[in-house]
Order: sequence, then C-alpha cells, then structure tokens
Amino acid sequence: MATPAHSPLPNRDSVTTIRTDGSRPFMFPADTHGRFTTARRVVAYGLIAFYLSLPWIKLNGYPAVFLDIAERRFHLFGLTFAFQDMWLLFFVITGLGFSLFFITSLFGRVWCGWACPQTVYLEHVFRRIEVWIEGDAVARRTLDAAPWTAGKIRKRVLKHAVYLAVAAVLTHGFLAYFVSVPEVWSMVRSAPSEHWSTFVFMMAYTGLTYFIFCWFREQVCIVICPYGRIQSALTDDNTVTIGYDAKRGEPRGKAGTEGVGDCIACNRCIHVCPTGIDIRQGLQLECVGCTACIDACDDVMDRLKRPRGLIRYDSQNKFNGRATRWIRPRTILYFALLLAGASVASWAVSTIRPANFLVTHMTGAPYIIDATVVRNQYFVRIVNKRNGPSRFVLKLQGTPAGVQQSGFVSAVEVPPLGEITTPLILQQRRADYTGPFHLTVRVEDERGTFHLERAVDFLGPEARLLREDEAEQKKADHEHGKEK
Amino acid sequence: MTPTPPNLPPEDPVRNHSFDGIQEYDKRLPNWWLMTLYVSIIFWVGYWAYYEWLHVGPSNSQRVEAALSQIEATKLANAPAVDDPNLWKMSRNPVFVEAGKATFVSNCVPCHLASMRGKSELATAIGPDLTDTKWIHGGKPTEIYDTITKGVLVKGMPTWGPVLGAKKITEVSAYILSKHNEGEPIELDPTALATAPPPVK
Repeated sequence: MATPAHSPLPNRDSVTTIRTDGSRPFMFPADTHGRFTTARRVVAYGLIAFYLSLPWIKLNGYPAVFLDIAERRFHLFGLTFAFQDMWLLFFVITGLGFSLFFITSLFGRVWCGWACPQTVYLEHVFRRIEVWIEGDAVARRTLDAAPWTAGKIRKRVLKHAVYLAVAAVLTHGFLAYFVSVPEVWSMVRSAPSEHWSTFVFMMAYTGLTYFIFCWFREQVCIVICPYGRIQSALTDDNTVTIGYDAKRGEPRGKAGTEGVGDCIACNRCIHVCPTGIDIRQGLQLECVGCTACIDACDDVMDRLKRPRGLIRYDSQNKFNGRATRWIRPRTILYFALLLAGASVASWAVSTIRPANFLVTHMTGAPYIIDATVVRNQYFVRIVNKRNGPSRFVLKLQGTPAGVQQSGFVSAVEVPPLGEITTPLILQQRRADYTGPFHLTVRVEDERGTFHLERAVDFLGPEARLLREDEAEQKKADHEHGKEK
Repeated sequence: MTPTPPNLPPEDPVRNHSFDGIQEYDKRLPNWWLMTLYVSIIFWVGYWAYYEWLHVGPSNSQRVEAALSQIEATKLANAPAVDDPNLWKMSRNPVFVEAGKATFVSNCVPCHLASMRGKSELATAIGPDLTDTKWIHGGKPTEIYDTITKGVLVKGMPTWGPVLGAKKITEVSAYILSKHNEGEPIELDPTALATAPPPVK
C-alpha cells in the first residue's frame, strides 16, 4: 500500500485518509515524545484504570456502576435507580451535552484528544502494541509494503492475536457493567452453550472492538462521530485550539536562510498526525486535538534553540495578534444551559425516593353503597427499590368525618427490590356522607426516612341522590312491611 | 494573517450547483462507506426472501401466537387441576393451606377479618363469614374458586383472577376449605343467587 503521507502535502479540500478512488490510505503516524504526550498518557492510563475498576468497587452493597438490565435496576455510585426513574436520563444526558458544548467553546476538542475512549485506547493501548511489535512509523510502513515473508507473517499474527486478546479483555470489562463481575467470571468458566445470546454478543462486541482499533481507527472520528461533526458550529476565533503561529513561522525556509520564519518545513507535524492533516493550514474537521504536532514541533524548536510554541494551544485571535475573549455570548449561553441542565439533573436525582407507590381503584364498581356505608376499594401498589426489605406505614390525610379505613392498617413489609399489591378499603357512614371528596394517601417508610404522597378520589353519588334513595327505600320497606 | 493558503488540489470535479456562491466538490465516498450500503442491500434481499417471499421465517403474528401459547402452556403446567376433590385434598395439605393463609392475610383480611368470620364477628365488617355453612355464591370448592377469581362486583368483592393468579387463588381456596369438612351441609342464600357469577369450566 503506497502511502503518499507527505507528497503531495495534505490539503484542506480533501480528506487525507480517503483517496480519489475512494480507497483508504492507512496512516503510519510517527511517535512523539514530550510534555503533552506524557501528560496525555498519564491521563489515559488513569482513565482506563478508573473505567475498568468501576465494576469492582462496591458502594452501598453494589458495584459503583452496575446497569442490571435483567433486574431492571441501575446502580450508580451508591444510588439505585429503577426503570421508573428513566426520565432522569434526559436531564443527565442534556447536562453532559451542554458541558461538552461549554468546554468545546472554550478549548475545542479537548475531550477527543484527552479523554475519549476511542483516542485513549487507540493511542495508548493499540498503537503502543503496534509500535512494540512492528517498530516505528518507518518500519511499519516498510513492513506494510513488504511482500509476505515468514517474518512479516509472524509479526502480523502476533499483533492481531494480541489485539484480539486486548479487545476481549476490554469487552469483558464492559460486560461487567451490565452483569457484574462475579457473573462475568461464572460465565467465562461455563460452556458457551449455557448462555448463547451473551456469548454471541461478546464475540460480536470483541470483533467490533478489534475491527475498530485494528483497522477502522481515525475513520470513526472523521466520518462517524457526531460530536466531531458539530464542533465547527461550537468553536469560534476565541476558542483555544491547537494551531500554528503563521506570523512567526512564515515564510518557511531552512534554518539560517535570510528572511524566513521559524518553520523549517520539516513536516514533522504532518508525520505525527494520526488523521494525516497539516495543522499549518489551520484548524480542520479532522483534528482531534491530540497534541502530537505540538510535541513534535517543540522538539524541533528545542534542537534549533528557538522558543517552543510555534504550534500550540491558542485562539485564532491570539495567533492573529489580538487578545482572547473568554467571556462572550457563546460561552455565557453554553454555561447557562450547562447550569440549567446540571441543576435540573441534581434536583431530579434528589426527588428520587427508594420506593414508588400507586393507589388505584379496584376493578368493578367505582363505589359500593350498602345499608350503612358508602365504600371505595383501592389497591395500593408499592415498589421497593432498596436492596433490603422495607416496612411501610400508610396514613390518610384530609379525610372528612366518619371515614373508616380497613386494610393496610399496620405496617406492610416489601421484600428487597420487590413489589406488593395490598387492598385499602375506605368507608364513610351514610349519615356523614356529603358527596365525593379528595384525600391524600401518604406512605411512610417505617423508620421515617422518607414519605410519598398521592392524591386519591373517594367516589360516590351526589349526597342529594343518596338521601332520595334512602327516603324511597324507607317508603318501600314500609309498604313491604304492610304487605307482609 | 491567516495560515498558508491550502495546497490546491488537482482539478476536482465540482457539482453543478451553487448556493450563495458556495460550490460543492463531487468527491467519491469512502469505499468502506459504500460497502456498508452494498452489504445492507444484500442483507435486505436475504431478509426479504426469508420472511416475505419464501416465508421460511415466522411472521410477526405467528411469533406472537407461539409466545402466547407458550405462556398458556406454562400456566397450565403450573396450575393444579381445579376440581372439587382436588381442592378438598389441597385443603388438608399444610403446604397449600399455609401459602393460602399468607395470601389471605395480605389481601382478604380487610373485609373478611383475620378470623375469616367477617360479619359474624363484627357487624360492621365488609365481607361475609367464610367459616359457617351459609354460602351466598355457592359453597362447593369450585364455586368458591370461581367467586374469588371473578369477584362479585356489585357487592365489592374484587376480581382477584388478574391480581393473584390461578395458583394463589387455588391456595386461598384451600385455606378457606381447611375450615370446612367435605360433606358438610351447604345452605344457600336464595336472595343472592341472582348475582352469582356463572360457573367457569
């Protein structure tokens, strides 16, 4: 595979990784060393350790992150959510989205370069393995173009075997988010036939991970990722991104030549770019903000004893000699949206109670009238979202005189993560009855840690009709008595 | 000044439209992208043939029916046969009676009281006595079972069938029958028969 990585130079009118015939030149970015590379690697390994350890850390008896699809319970950092709490997700996701907007308007694609799993795993795991087995960029390009010899086959088989193994480990770490670590372990030790669907899912997911990090790579960021697509609408001339100081660098020329800028046109910045762009042509859609070109250029400047920062994090305005404006309508708006999202999300999470309950009329007649009372019958359904059994007591509020309760008069126990349906019957003496009314049913945790309330209707006829009926009944009884 | 002007690409084809003076290159899509389109088309042909043309795969309604009959079969397998001799037998089995008592306590006590004696114990109780030999809606085991399952809506006895399910209703019936003896007299309340539900088969 011929890879014209630097001749001709990348241009802004076409994507380096798509040739005119639609085929894809494979990138062989050179390694970088420097402060940003080191910092990024520390962050990346910290993130990988964090994400892989989450299912192992227990908080309140459950893993820090355990999305239990089978039981429909979602354990997040000690909080347990039920499916009924799914609406929260809207605020959490919009909150995260606006945070991303805000950060992007200030610092461009820092997320992509520093924290996105795609970059973290690609640059700090899979690319490292490739360098370890196949060597540096030149060696990799040479090997790729070389005919299939025993040595090449050996290296390639080793690389893909390691890739598959790492992909399998990542996938199992991911699965642990959904079925917990002990369950993953027991599945791993049992035959695939005992859990075909999970096994096939794992194989497919391992295959996908392998494919993405082995071959697909930067195409995800350039063609597929929606965040990459909208970033150009989120940034402006005051956004601090990775850029080239053209004022200082141009015109390019060999060191020592009269009248040239600091850029010596060594093209190191292009050689190290994982998406194959030339950052000196300005910020482009393909740039994932990985800082490789900064370290590469700083290295060259150091050797030339010139100040660092020909390529650096700065705003377009700063590169053009103006000041960076941090507070501007865009950042204010995004911050306001972020604040709104975050406050609604925290408010919503704080309204979540460890139980849910509903009061519904039993099927059948909405109310029953017998000789002495008007009766309403309800089912009270309580869902316990706690990991342990909970006992609940029921209280009525706003009931008029003469209302009698039967059912749910003493505390009711609901098993852990279980639900019960229990009858509640309210009767009002005919003499006290003045028509339908509203009341509040309040369910309290027996320990008094929280309560829930529901407005409930007590149904019945109009009091006038009931009285008429009573009068008629009395008359009929009277006549009936006479007949006898 | 802005960064260096881009390296001009070799004459690229341009689409023959222009909006506000902006023109669009006519570049080839990535091959892998086109591949996803072609693979989808091939998949579609196979899918269509499998479900719509050759009818190898089951249709949606067939799958729903299969799933429903599966549920039905499981229910039948789990529910014990409901007939008089069986219910009497269960009423003498402590396992059934205990299970039935638990259900009774959490669901039936508000009206029939914990003693099951209802109005006989307390005049203001809602439900009738279930321990005596007087029955309003039939006193045979299957009749009791039917009354619980279907309820007596006008009197406030709820339809327990969908709430408790066949198994629990069988157990509750066994618990009620445990307070009775096979062959004891059944006195029917003649005024109430009109509201009795038709027996289920």
